[in-house]
Amino acid sequence: MANPVDPAQTSPPSTSPSPAPATQQSTDMSSQQPPSQPPQPSNGASKPAKPPKQPKSKDAPPAAGGAPGEEKLSPAELKKKAKAEKAARRAKERAEREASGGAGAGPGPNAAPPKKGSTGGGAGGKEAPGQPYKSQRHRRGSATQASATEQKKKQEDKNVAVFGHLYGQPRRTTIAGAGKEVHPAVLALGLQMRDYVVCGSSARCVATLLAFKRVIEAYTTPLGTSLSRHLTTHLSHQITYLSTCRPLSISQGNAIRALKLAISSIDPSVPEASAKATLSDFIDNFIREKITVADQVIATSAAEKIQDGDVIVTFAGSSIVKQTLLTAYKQGKKFRVSIIDSRPLFEGKNLARTLANAGLEVQYSLVNGISHAIKDATKVFLGAHAMTSNGRLYSRVGTALVAMSAKERAGGVEVPVIVCCETVKFTDRVALDSIVVNEIADADELVPSQPLKQVTGLPDPADEADTKKGDSKKGGNKAAANAPPAESTPLPEGASPLTNWKETPNLQLLNIMYDVTPAEYVDMVVTEMGSLPPSAVPIVHRMSTNL
Amino acid sequence: MASTTPAPSESAKPFDIVATYNELLRSDPDLTMPIAAIEALVLLLTHSPSSTISETLDLLEKSTAHLKKSIPNPIGLSAGTDLFQRYLITTLQRPGQLGPAGDFNAIRAHLLSNGRLFIRRAKESRDKIAAFGRGFVRDGSTVLTNGGSRVVASLLQKAADDKGGPSAVRFRVIYVLSPAKDSSAEPEGMETVRALRAKGVPVATIPESAVAYSLGKADIVIVGAEGVVENGGIVSRMGTYQIGLLAKAMGKPFYAVAESHKFVRLYPLGQYDLPIEQRVIDFNTEEDITDGHKPQSVAHSSDVVDFTPPHLISALITDSGVLTPSAVSEELIKIWF
Repeated sequence: MANPVDPAQTSPPSTSPSPAPATQQSTDMSSQQPPSQPPQPSNGASKPAKPPKQPKSKDAPPAAGGAPGEEKLSPAELKKKAKAEKAARRAKERAEREASGGAGAGPGPNAAPPKKGSTGGGAGGKEAPGQPYKSQRHRRGSATQASATEQKKKQEDKNVAVFGHLYGQPRRTTIAGAGKEVHPAVLALGLQMRDYVVCGSSARCVATLLAFKRVIEAYTTPLGTSLSRHLTTHLSHQITYLSTCRPLSISQGNAIRALKLAISSIDPSVPEASAKATLSDFIDNFIREKITVADQVIATSAAEKIQDGDVIVTFAGSSIVKQTLLTAYKQGKKFRVSIIDSRPLFEGKNLARTLANAGLEVQYSLVNGISHAIKDATKVFLGAHAMTSNGRLYSRVGTALVAMSAKERAGGVEVPVIVCCETVKFTDRVALDSIVVNEIADADELVPSQPLKQVTGLPDPADEADTKKGDSKKGGNKAAANAPPAESTPLPEGASPLTNWKETPNLQLLNIMYDVTPAEYVDMVVTEMGSLPPSAVPIVHRMSTNL
Repeated sequence: MASTTPAPSESAKPFDIVATYNELLRSDPDLTMPIAAIEALVLLLTHSPSSTISETLDLLEKSTAHLKKSIPNPIGLSAGTDLFQRYLITTLQRPGQLGPAGDFNAIRAHLLSNGRLFIRRAKESRDKIAAFGRGFVRDGSTVLTNGGSRVVASLLQKAADDKGGPSAVRFRVIYVLSPAKDSSAEPEGMETVRALRAKGVPVATIPESAVAYSLGKADIVIVGAEGVVENGGIVSRMGTYQIGLLAKAMGKPFYAVAESHKFVRLYPLGQYDLPIEQRVIDFNTEEDITDGHKPQSVAHSSDVVDFTPPHLISALITDSGVLTPSAVSEELIKIWF
């Protein structure tokens, strides 16, 4: 669904996966919508008959008919309605495309029912062969569909089944279709976050708050409502837009919650100008207290743990770890840093360059070489996306592997794993695995021939790891291992074998963003409120939110 | 305990906190290091003519730093000084008569009286711990313990009393004794051994090398602690860590006994991450020795400590209840925020 492949290139099967969820959604929506909209009058109306019903619902409540009636809808209802309309529109487009594609009528309706069945039943039937799923055999035995449809279905489904629930809306690619309420600063920020120009939990949190500050500065309360009431909904539009660009991080969520609380606690009698000034101050204070100063405190106290002769292993590019290492270096400590990085974001490259420029001794390797990198490690420093209430670390995918390698190093002394994390990243959620809650990025990022489709920002600077990168390209795509080698379309010279992965049958790519490190692998969490064992995360979270 | 020569105190200060601290420890064998530190600080406040809050805090900070520097192992001590400082600040920040707006003399009087109250309470906490902990010593069980911890001693004695005097004693003790620094003195903990034997408790004393051998006969391990750190581990007499490792390997419950004023805001990541310098491992060649560098074996003195990580500890018996190691940080956070 991501980039609706342009019609010229599409073979019919590749388009047809999308209509299934879309139509499903639209039917869901249309069946949901009528009951919620007119609760009292139109009980007798038949559900699917949408067009005849709408006038009816307009007529029935005479007090609030027509346009004013629509205004009365709550934002949630509005959103639902907009979604339903969009889904319907999309479904129509797709139907047209299919019809023009020729294969149309046949696979279209055929594709929908099996899809429904498989989403209802969880994992199973749509697995690529070779993936070890116990339920698969059983399911297949019980499935009554013809093998032809099954074949089709497998080709169609490019979502990895276990993570099926995480494929929501694809990330927004343009600002087209964004609501007119969305502030330009937010529009730009959304795209920057989408392109990983603004990347990292803290950076996104700060950027969001700063953008919201501009939103608030540009905001005027409409007549007939108060700032504390209307501004929240106004911000909600911005937030919705941001979350369509990339799902919000935990820190963003926490910051937004705090901001909304601050807005709602403003006395309606306060004049608008001073209310806005208060909110601006609140945002500045929040950024300073929860992130800027917190980072300094964390960096200082984490740097104390670095001793002469240490070999510090870190994963990807955490800004707080960078600050810690630089602080320790400035204190005159002699230590080595080993950065472990991974595809496709290569966040470690920036860190490596910054540290090397500052004068530190840096070793850079990819996660494939973890067993070598960890051999002479004495400490592991990790950044965090979030800390969950059961003490687990939710961070860039690969972190768990690094932590595990450090803790389970065969025959060596235990290497302490230290997490640097501001309390704004703490959440009361609990994560048992990295499947239930996660984020899936565009799988095209894994296809190496098109590295990062950046709209903004700089091209990739560091080329010193070219050879390593080449290695990783071969090994990095586990999903590729299952792909049958034979391909009908000959690939151009130099292109990755994965380039046409959407057309390749039995091939799914998974580009997952985060993983969960068990609490047992974390020795210490350094926060601005002191160093804690992971088990103390919920207590500190409770305290920092109550204050 | 370690009676280092008090460093030359600042000339302006007539009151020597280090000497007071050492004197307090020497005069009262029941006094723990954090309490001695707090008592010394209270005495300091009574002696010093500070008249403003910031002056008091400043004085306190300076003396604390001075005291910490002059004592070879300030871990236990810093628990006391930190606690006192924290207490002082929260008292001063509280609104009302005793807050920043109030009369300073009243504040001072209040602080001093409360400080004394705190010390009295801290001394009582040992009985409280004994009350909590004696349930862990079951009929017919064998307890393995080490060192010269007064809390452990009082716990065991309480348990012996509890069972109705000499006639009805139903537990035995394996006491791990480490040899004293000079062979003439008796090893630390001998006093407790005598006291327990007097109560009719059968006590076996073993050297540290026999712990693994004897642990099979023990049912539980109870040790004292010099400090309880933030992750729930304990800083304790050298040798505790290995007992912990052995107990874990053999599946015996390992309990640490400590007053809650021994909780330190410290987060060691391992043995070599303690904020003290211990020259336990001292490499020497023949040449070094002939050069006059004498290899000193400090490993047996009572001053050296090791760190027992939390995953080896089954529970901590404290005066605020029996805690799991992970609850320690919660307690500490409660004190500090």
